[in-house]
Amino acid sequence: MSTPDPSTEQSLSIWFFVGVLTLGSGLIIFCQGIYEFSHPATTILADLHPAFWWGLLMTLFGAFYTLRFRPGKG
Amino acid sequence: MTPLALLFTSQLTHLGPVDIAILLLYFAMVIFIGFYVKGSTNTSEEFFLAGREMSAWIAGLAFVSANLGSLELMGWAGSAYQYGILATHWYWIGAIPAMLFLGIVMMPFYYISKTHSVPGYLQLRFGEGARALSAVSFGFMTVLMSGVNMYSMALVMKVVLGWDITFSIWVGAITVAIYVTLGGLRSAIINEVLQFVLIWAGAALIPILGLIEAGGWSNLKVLITARAGVEYTHMWSTLGHYSSNPMGVNWTGIVFGLGFVISFGYWTTDFLVVQRVLSANNLRAARLAPIIGAAFKMFVPFFVIIPGLLALVLLKDSSGHLIQLYPDGSPEVLHGAHSFNEVLPLMMVRYLGPGLLGLGITALIAGFMSGMAGNVSAFSTVWTYDIYGAYINKKASDKHYVAMGRWSTVIGMGVSIITAYWVMGAASIMDYVQQLFSFFIAPLFGTVILGMLWKRATKAGGFWGLLAGTGASIFMWQMVLHDKTNIRFMILEPHASADTIDRVQAMAANLYRGLWSWVVCVLVTVIVSYMTKPTPDSELVGLVYGTTIIPDDGSNKIYEKPIFWAVVVATVLFILNLWLW
Repeated sequence: MSTPDPSTEQSLSIWFFVGVLTLGSGLIIFCQGIYEFSHPATTILADLHPAFWWGLLMTLFGAFYTLRFRPGKG
Repeated sequence: MTPLALLFTSQLTHLGPVDIAILLLYFAMVIFIGFYVKGSTNTSEEFFLAGREMSAWIAGLAFVSANLGSLELMGWAGSAYQYGILATHWYWIGAIPAMLFLGIVMMPFYYISKTHSVPGYLQLRFGEGARALSAVSFGFMTVLMSGVNMYSMALVMKVVLGWDITFSIWVGAITVAIYVTLGGLRSAIINEVLQFVLIWAGAALIPILGLIEAGGWSNLKVLITARAGVEYTHMWSTLGHYSSNPMGVNWTGIVFGLGFVISFGYWTTDFLVVQRVLSANNLRAARLAPIIGAAFKMFVPFFVIIPGLLALVLLKDSSGHLIQLYPDGSPEVLHGAHSFNEVLPLMMVRYLGPGLLGLGITALIAGFMSGMAGNVSAFSTVWTYDIYGAYINKKASDKHYVAMGRWSTVIGMGVSIITAYWVMGAASIMDYVQQLFSFFIAPLFGTVILGMLWKRATKAGGFWGLLAGTGASIFMWQMVLHDKTNIRFMILEPHASADTIDRVQAMAANLYRGLWSWVVCVLVTVIVSYMTKPTPDSELVGLVYGTTIIPDDGSNKIYEKPIFWAVVVATVLFILNLWLW
């Protein structure tokens, strides 16, 4: 599975789009998660702070893909 | 969900500014991708087959994602609530073996024949008659299915968020039309990969939080057994007879009807999914793509089936009583109760607060739009190559065919919009349209598999077999529509009880109809082939086993070989089935 990925040879890779979408959504959810420490959501198990942790996970995943497949990196 | 349900069901939730921000981010990216990709979509190969330059991972994710529509996700979550863990069969035995078979056995023929479509392969192997029959039926079905997806999305947005149906239909249609018309299959594939990531990100939290609330998997099984019965938590041990499980199916229906005919028919001959794999950049990638897709497919039940099971024991109202869900169109739903199909949105609202809810809703919308885009991009390919280019204008320039592809996308979306409004006027049409696919898929698999594996199959045999199988499928459907007790002949139990007939009617009828129409197709193909003159071997090179040398796909080490990964996936599938026996 080490075949070069021709889609990354374009100026913008498919994985770059994946990274940007995940990073953008993740940051929004992460910020909401921080806000919910002082204004808890009314959902079940909100005390586990799912928005904070899930947002953090998505942000890290998205940041990795955005940087790894950024334009010009090839 | 029926249109009537709208009149009585109040919206489940509403989106806040944070949710809308995520939704807008997705729409902006989708439109941007359409315009961005247009620059590299100039030839017909680029527009219809994404330039055949996708890696195995991208083709594999698009392959599995094309089938991961929201209609399906919500429907199967509802089926898990209704029938228990048996619904998982549609994701495992009903998909994985066929996907592995496509990668290992069939893909070399599709790929080295350089066909642009499944009807195109039929033309090479069986001539114009078989191609015309499959192209016209497929083109007709795909635009109708696109319309069903469009209407379903609008209906879900109405029920969940209270959005106006016309607004949802037009926003969805215009967005999809823009990105598919501009970027063709390349644009559709990029969006399918995005949709795949969104669905995992948006839906995976529901089973995670649900299992925490239920006290783990073992405790969930105990709770389900107490509420619904032990048969809701076993996949195989209750399949001895139609009456011993909630689905009214026995193991022959699951293994031969679902696991063989329906599943192989869909995953190996439905051009909507096969087109994604044809976009692969080499033979090895084309063989690996369905195997990668199968590996991911195996874990889809985690966020589809488990939420349905969790809802059985955890979905409670504000006073702490379990909420009972009912079938669509039932008196309870008409009087305000929730239907099975609302399980997934109900579980979303239960666990996902602001932001996360927006992500979940965006994933659902992405799934619906991807369903429309998949259908309409497959339609424009089959229309341009197998109908327009084959029978109407054979000698046009490549540029002309690309323009035709773009126009047929716009027209396909227009017909889809008309279909969406048509379905809105008469909900029963939606059930018919969804069943129409099964009329063509099972016999088509018979024709393609004989074409690839049996060189004695002739052109006349292929055409008449396909026609007879399709006719048999429509006949059986009419027979049961006329009198539902006729189903007893399809399950070979002439004295079946009324209860058994009712159970089989609900879920298993399609499986047995598919099985018998496949048998008819194969029998007629074999008989007619022996009555007609064999095709010379020289005309079958590159199309049939026995006359074709499969080129080396370039994999040297064991872990580079598609067969190695197919064995790994099959082994994991076997272990999972044993675990949930």
